[in-house]
Parts: sequence; C-alpha cells; structure tokens
Amino acid sequence: MPRTEPRWVLDEDDAIEVLAYLVTAARTQVDEAAEYGPLRLLTAARRLAGLLAPRASEPTATFVRDHVEPMPELAVPRQGRDEYVARLDGLCAELGSLLAQRYVPGRSS
Amino acid sequence: MSAAGPVDTSAAGAGPGRDAEPGRNPVLAAIRSRRVVRAMTGEPLARATLEAILDAVRWAPTAGNRHLQRFVASDDPGTLRALRMVSPGMLQRPAAVVAVCVDRDLATDYGFAPDARSLSVDVGTATATLLLAAHALGVGSGPVTSFSRVAAAAVLDVPSGWTVELVVCLGHPAPVEPGRLGRGRVTWRDLTVWAPRDAG
Repeated sequence: MPRTEPRWVLDEDDAIEVLAYLVTAARTQVDEAAEYGPLRLLTAARRLAGLLAPRASEPTATFVRDHVEPMPELAVPRQGRDEYVARLDGLCAELGSLLAQRYVPGRSS
Repeated sequence: MSAAGPVDTSAAGAGPGRDAEPGRNPVLAAIRSRRVVRAMTGEPLARATLEAILDAVRWAPTAGNRHLQRFVASDDPGTLRALRMVSPGMLQRPAAVVAVCVDRDLATDYGFAPDARSLSVDVGTATATLLLAAHALGVGSGPVTSFSRVAAAAVLDVPSGWTVELVVCLGHPAPVEPGRLGRGRVTWRDLTVWAPRDAG
C-alpha cells in the first residue's frame, strides 16, 4: 500500500493531454520508423511526469526531477544502442526503487 | 535546364550573386545557420510576421507551377494546445503553426493519382521555403510529421478535400534545446557520389 495519503495529481485537462498523446502515438507508430517506439513512450512518460510532479509526493517529484527529466528527449537507439539501453535500464532501476519504497513494507531509500 | 552552368541570378537584379563564400552570401549563410527548433518560449508571434512567412511560401517552387499546396495557419492558443495533444512529434510549444496541406480535389482534377510522388515533393519545397523564411525573420521553426492526420484535420477545421501533410511549428527559440545522444555532423561528401564515380 502507498505510504502517503492518496492525492490527486492530475486534473481532467492533464489526463486528456496524456490520453490524446497515447492514442495518436499508437496511430503514428504504424507509419513511423520502429526506433521511434521507445522515443514516443518516453515522451509520454515525460509529459505525464511533468504534469503530475507539481502535486506529487516528495519521493515521486524527486524521481521525476532527477531521473525522468534528464533523459535525452530526442535519443533513439540507433545513435548508440549500448548507451541508450544503459540509460533506460538505469531509469528502470530507479523506478523500481521508487516503487519499492512506496509499496513494500520495510523498504526505505 | 541550361547547359551553360549556374544561372547568374544577380543579372536579374534580385539574386545574391555568385559568391560561394557563406560569409558574404546571405542566402548561403541563412541555409547554413537555420536549425530545427524544438524548444520555444511562450512569447507570441506578431501576426504581421506570420503573414510575411506565408507570403514567402507562396514563392516556393511547385511542379508545373500548379500550386496544389494549401496552408492552414493558426496562432490561437486553444487550437495550438489541442493540436499538440494529437501530435506526438510536437515537442515544442509553438506560438503559431502552419499546416502544409495538399488540395486533393484539385490534384485529382489535374489527373494525379492519390500516391503521386510529386505531391509530396512540393510539400517538401514549400516546407523548406517556409523554414528559411522564418529564419530570415528571426523566427524559430520546426517541422512535425508525427501527428494524427484525421485528428489534426478536425482540430484545424481543414477544408474539405485538403489533407494535412506536415505541420511547421513557429516561435521564438528557447535557450535550451531538448537533449539527444551524440551524433556527428555530416558533410556534403558523406551524402554525395559523382557520376561517373571517378568524376569527383
């Protein structure tokens, strides 16, 4: 269970923005280069993160600021696959830590 | 095409002359200094500036001088917000947009097949002209091709028979551009071969 009080972090306009992005990205991906797939997903994550961070708990806001926002927004795997994968793995690891702190009893930063 | 070499545009009184040094040739300098701008400030764009850009685009070369390209312009904040929501490739928050469209009904009247390549070529020449015109006026620009055609058409209230092919974002460049992983700069030699191969 979350160890913070439930709070609203998105309003309807925020949610619609993310919804619209995801739906239209699904369509554009049909015609786009496959390497744009992770780029589009990360852009969606960045937009969601930017919308929720101002009202999020301190650990979540810190994760957004320290790990999501620094990800290169225009990077694609072809420009350096190893570095790209390493950065994504690093982001996933930090996300896992955030989730563990939030949901796993006895875990701390 | 003339076999006598480059056209002397200066002879017509309107061209920049033959100086191939970008530092002395304003057209070459503009071509080399233009960049795709993917981060823009929220500062509005003067309507007169937007109209000057649209006037320049009218001079873009088109196949057969047919002018099958059409444009939908907007600087309305609500329209821009909605358009960005349905355009995954639109990282910037533009002060204005110009959607480059094709008048499909007119193209059909000319006898073009729906997938005729020259229609896309003319979208490219219009876009290149638009980007350079914006740059000449100190306006940042960035083309976007990743968007839902049907959603963009609905947001922009595109006239019947037109299709949105590309959207150009316009605005004042922000100090910091979105990050990317490193990529080396290419030269014209990286992109070109001579025919015959030993002619270079």
